[in-house]
Amino acid sequence: MARLIYGFIQPHTPYLCNMLSYWFGDVVDGQCTPSGGDAPAKADRVRSIHTSMDPFVPLTWETALACGACRNRADYIAKLREVCFTAADRDIRQQYSGKDAELLQMVRTLDEMDTVINLLTERAVEWYQLSHPTFTRKYRKTPAHILVKNIREKSRGALSFVAGEIERLSATRTELAKAVSGRANDVMPNTSALIGGLVAARLMANAGGLEDLSRMPASAIQVLGARTALFAHLRTKSPSPKHGIIFQHRRVHNAPRDCRGKVARVLAGKLAIAARIDHYRGIADLVFLESAQARIDQTGTVPDKVTEKITAKDDEP
Amino acid sequence: MIWIGDVLVSQGEGGVYSERMLGNTRVWDPFRSKLSALYHKGTGVEITAETRVLYLGAANGTTVSHVADYAEVVYAIEFAPRPMQDLLEVARRRKNIVPIMADATRPEQYAPLVEMVDLIYQDVAQPDQATIAIRNSVFLRAGGHLILMLKTRSVDVRKEPDVVFQETVEALTSAGFVVQESLWLAPYHQDHAAIVCTKPGV
Repeated sequence: MARLIYGFIQPHTPYLCNMLSYWFGDVVDGQCTPSGGDAPAKADRVRSIHTSMDPFVPLTWETALACGACRNRADYIAKLREVCFTAADRDIRQQYSGKDAELLQMVRTLDEMDTVINLLTERAVEWYQLSHPTFTRKYRKTPAHILVKNIREKSRGALSFVAGEIERLSATRTELAKAVSGRANDVMPNTSALIGGLVAARLMANAGGLEDLSRMPASAIQVLGARTALFAHLRTKSPSPKHGIIFQHRRVHNAPRDCRGKVARVLAGKLAIAARIDHYRGIADLVFLESAQARIDQTGTVPDKVTEKITAKDDEP
Repeated sequence: MIWIGDVLVSQGEGGVYSERMLGNTRVWDPFRSKLSALYHKGTGVEITAETRVLYLGAANGTTVSHVADYAEVVYAIEFAPRPMQDLLEVARRRKNIVPIMADATRPEQYAPLVEMVDLIYQDVAQPDQATIAIRNSVFLRAGGHLILMLKTRSVDVRKEPDVVFQETVEALTSAGFVVQESLWLAPYHQDHAAIVCTKPGV
């Protein structure tokens, strides 16, 4: 609110063409009016200045001296630094306060924990095999967490401790996954509704933030997380990737092989819209979600040609 | 530039990034810093205690700290918040660094803060690196220098580095820069080229 009022009473370049605005004051026809105020006020002022770069003459510190904004060169730099530090602190704080900032860290931690748990489990199994030479995982469908539990119970000493630690780590991971899912539903309700909180959060993390995701074209969202394949495709003649992270969604990986690319494409198209609603509105749009769900479901089930006919019919008045 | 034997050093407070010290000077490693690599290739622009520098793409302030050891003042532009935190810490201990959190592609954001400079050093990972240099050249005095560190891979991975290099040199020339030198930074950095230009006097 304070900034609004401030910007209102302070006339800036849009109104006066021959006025040059700098961090320390405004110069009109060689006459300088110091802006006054402390460093935070000056930092806010810099943000509200709209400088025209055509034509443009950089400021000189002598102008600031004549303006009474500083005593000498060293004082000029010192005062300017104070303003810049304040502005940078403010901007960093602002960027980190975004709702997606913490979700981004959460989902990256989650994926790293998965990697660590898998690595440790593999190592523990190899270790366990030394004392149990007949042990094998062939023809057995023991889930990894049961396996780790068995190792903990059947071994002694350090290995048992390690296995116990893996179990605790897995428990933490489960809790974190729940938290990620919940936070994603809150931060990006539309995207989460279409593809699930966890995958939505992964997409956002891979894009670098919700704003970045909302600015991506659907074609980029479709192959997010397939970086290696995408660049291999761009560089050589290998086929383009059909899907990246969105493959993790059941609609894509359950789809028959020959229409997976199509499903991925449609889903990515709807996700791009969803991400934009999430970023700019921040609330679930039920009408959009319903029509998007219907469109995606239709793509998954109906064979290619029939789909085309249906869409053609729909398009008719 | 200060050389001890064939080691490039700068004079200032050490311990910025656990750099090696030689006597009471800081070793400026050409494998870590592209600007140091340029000096090691036998070229570059002399930075003196009178030089005012606009540094685009300041990142964590590693190279910035060395430049600040030589220069009168360094206006360090960085966009991303995380490296900015490091840069601020470096700038707190070096009184001639002015850290500015802004986008180098939008010089109007920091135009009210930056004065006319003698040297623009640009090291950004952006596709339109020549455009950024040209847009920022309004801050460069006539006769001043531009050092552009070209990350060819950020411009376009599909193009050959040589092609990107040539295109950038042409773009700078047609914008009025006089290209003094252009060279690859191998063996210190792969796929990185340095272009040294001057802005002609009026």
